[in-house]
Amino acid sequence: MKALIRFEFQKILRRRSTLIVCAVSLLVTAFLFALPVMQYQVYDHGEPRKGLDGVAFQKAQFSGGDVWLTDESVAGQIDEVRQLFKNPENVGFDGGEEFLIGDAYWNSVAPREDLLNLIAGNYAPPGEFAGYSALAKLDLSAGPRFYETRAEKIRAIVGDPARRMSAQQAAFWEKRNSQVAQPLRYGYFEGWRVLFSSWELFLFAVLAVCIAVAPVFCGEYQAGTDAVILAGKYGKTRVAAAKIIASYLFGALAFLVHIGLACAIVFLTFGPEGWDLPLQINGLSVPYPWTFLQAALINFGVIFLVLFAMIALTLVLSAKMKSAYLVLAVLVPVLFLPMFLTPSGTTGLLSRIAFLLPYRSTMPELGHYISYQFGGLVLDVLSVRAIVYALFSLAVPPLAGRGFRRHQPGA
Amino acid sequence: MELELQHLCKQYGPIRAVDNVHIRLSPGVYGLLGANGAGKTTLMRMICGVLAPTSGCIRLNGKPMQALGEQYYAQLGYMPQDFGFYPDFTAREFLHYMAAVKGLSAGTGRERTERLLKMVNLHDAANRRIKSFSGGMKQRLGIAQAELNDPSILILDEPTAGLDPKERVRLRNLIADFAREKIVILSTHIVSDVSYIADTILMMKQGRILLQGAPDEITRSIQGKVWELLTDEQTAADCAHRLSVVNLHHEGGRIRLRMISDAAPAPNARAVEPSLEDLFLYHFGESSPSEGGAAYESADSI
Repeated sequence: MKALIRFEFQKILRRRSTLIVCAVSLLVTAFLFALPVMQYQVYDHGEPRKGLDGVAFQKAQFSGGDVWLTDESVAGQIDEVRQLFKNPENVGFDGGEEFLIGDAYWNSVAPREDLLNLIAGNYAPPGEFAGYSALAKLDLSAGPRFYETRAEKIRAIVGDPARRMSAQQAAFWEKRNSQVAQPLRYGYFEGWRVLFSSWELFLFAVLAVCIAVAPVFCGEYQAGTDAVILAGKYGKTRVAAAKIIASYLFGALAFLVHIGLACAIVFLTFGPEGWDLPLQINGLSVPYPWTFLQAALINFGVIFLVLFAMIALTLVLSAKMKSAYLVLAVLVPVLFLPMFLTPSGTTGLLSRIAFLLPYRSTMPELGHYISYQFGGLVLDVLSVRAIVYALFSLAVPPLAGRGFRRHQPGA
Repeated sequence: MELELQHLCKQYGPIRAVDNVHIRLSPGVYGLLGANGAGKTTLMRMICGVLAPTSGCIRLNGKPMQALGEQYYAQLGYMPQDFGFYPDFTAREFLHYMAAVKGLSAGTGRERTERLLKMVNLHDAANRRIKSFSGGMKQRLGIAQAELNDPSILILDEPTAGLDPKERVRLRNLIADFAREKIVILSTHIVSDVSYIADTILMMKQGRILLQGAPDEITRSIQGKVWELLTDEQTAADCAHRLSVVNLHHEGGRIRLRMISDAAPAPNARAVEPSLEDLFLYHFGESSPSEGGAAYESADSI
């Protein structure tokens, strides 16, 4: 069996179409993940600093180390902003909106604007944006109550009637959120921010793998090698299994190379710092108690299962159809049509299904509170995706094997 | 060893590509002859288990093929007509792969590969990619893969198609070498190939076995129906219009005709010994028209 898997792997790898599609896909991946650094721009006292220079400048803003978001430190941050707003020379206006200008902004706010926006956002109603200037008008007579406010906001999110969450679902999210460690630690995490905003780009790698494995069965029909294989001792048994295993192996390795390339570009430019920071510093209402690294690994796991399911679908189509072009004619819409099926909310059957389609399944939807209830069992979207795609990956390949076994050359 | 085809049928819609074939085969070389679409390739594919019969059964030593499963395929060697290779594999890699498909251990696979590469005279080209091979080299490689597992049943579909005479002779001799103690079924449109190496001829027409027997024996069935005539152009044209002409040869101002006819075509015609080619033309006509199953067998069958 090992020899068969090795040969089937070689057959995939040596196909010219495989080499071309992998090369193109790696170039596209490199380009797409290099774009954020090429387009990166921050401002230093009004002067733009671009690309790697901008990244270095941004990193330098965090040279003082990470910040623990305790009530005391949050109160301190808010108070500093308030003091700045008290001096009229520091304040500019845009209609009714106030903001800091001059050195007050460039020296005191700009280096930590994201942190201040994060704190301000905590006190804004769910779904509303609040910038640092909102901090000046906050009523903190009862103290900052940073984490109580966050908890209340999350209760408001899960209790929102528009979300139509059951009591079990609300309890599920509150329990999950209660596991988020406090206080949060804030620091530099630009690399992770880029990665977490680019998940869907990995769909091109999934497509490349599917193109490469599309001829696994139908390529034999087209080349005319089907008859001689099927007349062999293991032609109707182990060969099909070897083809499926080799396809999964190839898919996993090719995808790992894509992930490696993307991560290398992102983390070599922006740096890997922030891997151990909590997700909440990129969105305080995120209910998952994970660090960026943990969340990335979990989402990569889900994407791997999506990949395996798409390989399984490709193989079953390949076993049934006569040409790889026909396989791709079915597969490409399956992968890319969901791009245009944006969920209209977090409720409703169609939206729920849309969150499980391959394209959306590359995105972790960490702050969207999407859960599914089966009787008394509540599962979040990541778990449901993992289960759906794992089951698909296990259940469908035997159909591909059966299609190949039942194939009748020349009929 | 006995391979029995019991009332084997293959139907495609209203057309019977193979129609109630019922024969027993014991070790020996069987030449399968028939016009395009006669059902030869379909029959061979069914024997190889890659095409399911519509009805009927194939038994090896009394046991149904389905019941034997891998045991049946382990005894089978098959070289389809115009079958594909993996162009980026070398000949040696291809044979190693086929050895794995045929369930040979790595050691046996390597040993058989080297032996067969020598036998088919491809040892020097063993590490060349197959895409650089000539048609003859590919045919020899095809024979080698079929023989890898030293099969008891060797099925060769048009093994000499597209080869020059030298390659044909080489391949024919190879097949004769491999044929000992095996059931070898080979189809070819080159009648002389069959007449040289086949012990038994199976002639198919419209999906049925029309004739079965040793070459000498079945050619005798048209004894007295093959004629030679040396005549003028006018008579030759008349004969060619009316009869099946096997051969036509200009000799000075006259023409020598070899014809098939139930009765003497001319008073001065002379009866001659029939050959397999005569027999083929007697049954299929000069133009060897395609038969019912042709649409389903496409260009890969005679």
